[in-house]
Amino acid sequence: MKYIDSAIVKLTDVSKRYTVENLALHRVSLEVQKGEFIFLTGPSGSGKSTLLKLLFCAERPTEGTIRVDGMDISTLTPSQIPMLRRRVGVIFQDFKLLGRHTVFDNVALSLEVLGLKTSQVEKRVREIVANVGLIGKLEQKAIELSGGEQQRVAIARAVVNRPPIILADEPTGNLDRDRTNEVMELMEELNARGTTIIFATHDEKLFENTHRRVVRLENGRLVK
Amino acid sequence: MIAGIIYKRALSDIRQNLTNQAMTILVVTLSMLLLLFFALFSFNLRHFVEELGSKLGIVVYLKKEVPQESIPALYKRISELKGIESVNYTSSEDAFRKLKKYLADEQQVLEGVDATFLPPSFEIQIDRAVFNIERIREVAAELSTWKEVSKVQYGQEWIDRLEVFSGLTQRALVGAGLLLLITTAFVVANTIKLTTYARQDELEILRLVGATNMFIAGPFLLEAFFQGLAGSLLATVIVYATTQYLQSLLSQHPLFKEVELVFLPLSYTAGIIGGSIIVCITGTAISMRRFLKL
Repeated sequence: MKYIDSAIVKLTDVSKRYTVENLALHRVSLEVQKGEFIFLTGPSGSGKSTLLKLLFCAERPTEGTIRVDGMDISTLTPSQIPMLRRRVGVIFQDFKLLGRHTVFDNVALSLEVLGLKTSQVEKRVREIVANVGLIGKLEQKAIELSGGEQQRVAIARAVVNRPPIILADEPTGNLDRDRTNEVMELMEELNARGTTIIFATHDEKLFENTHRRVVRLENGRLVK
Repeated sequence: MIAGIIYKRALSDIRQNLTNQAMTILVVTLSMLLLLFFALFSFNLRHFVEELGSKLGIVVYLKKEVPQESIPALYKRISELKGIESVNYTSSEDAFRKLKKYLADEQQVLEGVDATFLPPSFEIQIDRAVFNIERIREVAAELSTWKEVSKVQYGQEWIDRLEVFSGLTQRALVGAGLLLLITTAFVVANTIKLTTYARQDELEILRLVGATNMFIAGPFLLEAFFQGLAGSLLATVIVYATTQYLQSLLSQHPLFKEVELVFLPLSYTAGIIGGSIIVCITGTAISMRRFLKL
């Protein structure tokens, strides 16, 4: 299943059709190199979220092949999908946190599924929560935090198990400009440490002065 | 390590969803209560039939021509039969004396009657430890083939009727028990499905961070184990307390003083508790299946 390739993510002629009329992606081919930070942009309904979902196997392609960190997703069995998801951190616009659980519990989840010892979990959670500036709120329930803080918890959860790839689906969509800048700084930091980032957004301000590669989707087709 | 985490998560889930847990346990308790009461009724009926049968015993009438010298040998042969608790010999004269005593004021009807007109007999009691109606029949059938024996009596009609009734209730118990278990599985599965719906977001997040199906389902299955155990234990305690209470009421009543109400044996209660646990785990596994699809 593993193979040697410089691209950490590679899509070849990938199409995704939900219904006969609804073609979400049409023959998309894309390579993302290890350590790269790319922006995936396009209007609502252009296929950004679908593309990300294909990358962490929440959806399966109708056609084409996808390789993520050496794994051929089209041949993954259901029991192998958790292994892929441990290699890919995902951040959403709506945070997807367990509201009634503490910050610690939310972040620890990514490590508990790996079966790490409690002491290791505690050490790594504290480290990462300190990195995102929330160490003082470790025992606070997620629901009690502001939107920006919740997104930082979601980022901490996504990266605490040190995945080589981060998929961010409109992570700043619910945040004001200051909180957005905080999230972008965290993303830059992660990328500087070698994490590959695919950042989906329709907010062009986020990449208008950047040197990062910008990939544009329109009506399920890659246009740039 | 994963097992420890699953255990911890199950405990934390129980604490955080106390209302749902209580609701599921209540459903299990009510279903098991029905099953236990039905089992208790059936078991006590069976117990009553057996008690009655064991009290009736077997009476073996000998032919009059059987010589007195052969009685000890016959006594020994009967005693050596399997499952015999006691054997008492009644000679013709003893039988006559007993009859006279029984007739009391009307014993004049026996005047002029030969004191040996009644046949000698053996009264046999079957060992209560190995007692069953089939054993009485077997012993009676064997004795009636002996050349010294003229007649064997053992309250056959009574036993047959009670046995048919008892057999019917046993079959009804098995049928009703199966129906109840299926109903319980269905209700528990649906109760758990509702709680699982309420926790769909949590399951989605777990899948997102790479949890395996076992990691996701493990705490739910462990909770189901506790629910099955708690529900059936609670029902057992309630039925036990009720049995004790009814027994104390019966013992105070002159009509039912002799009636003994017995609680179910350990094998029954263990079976019902085990069944309850299996039903809860199966119900959970069924309702979890669709949530574990990726």
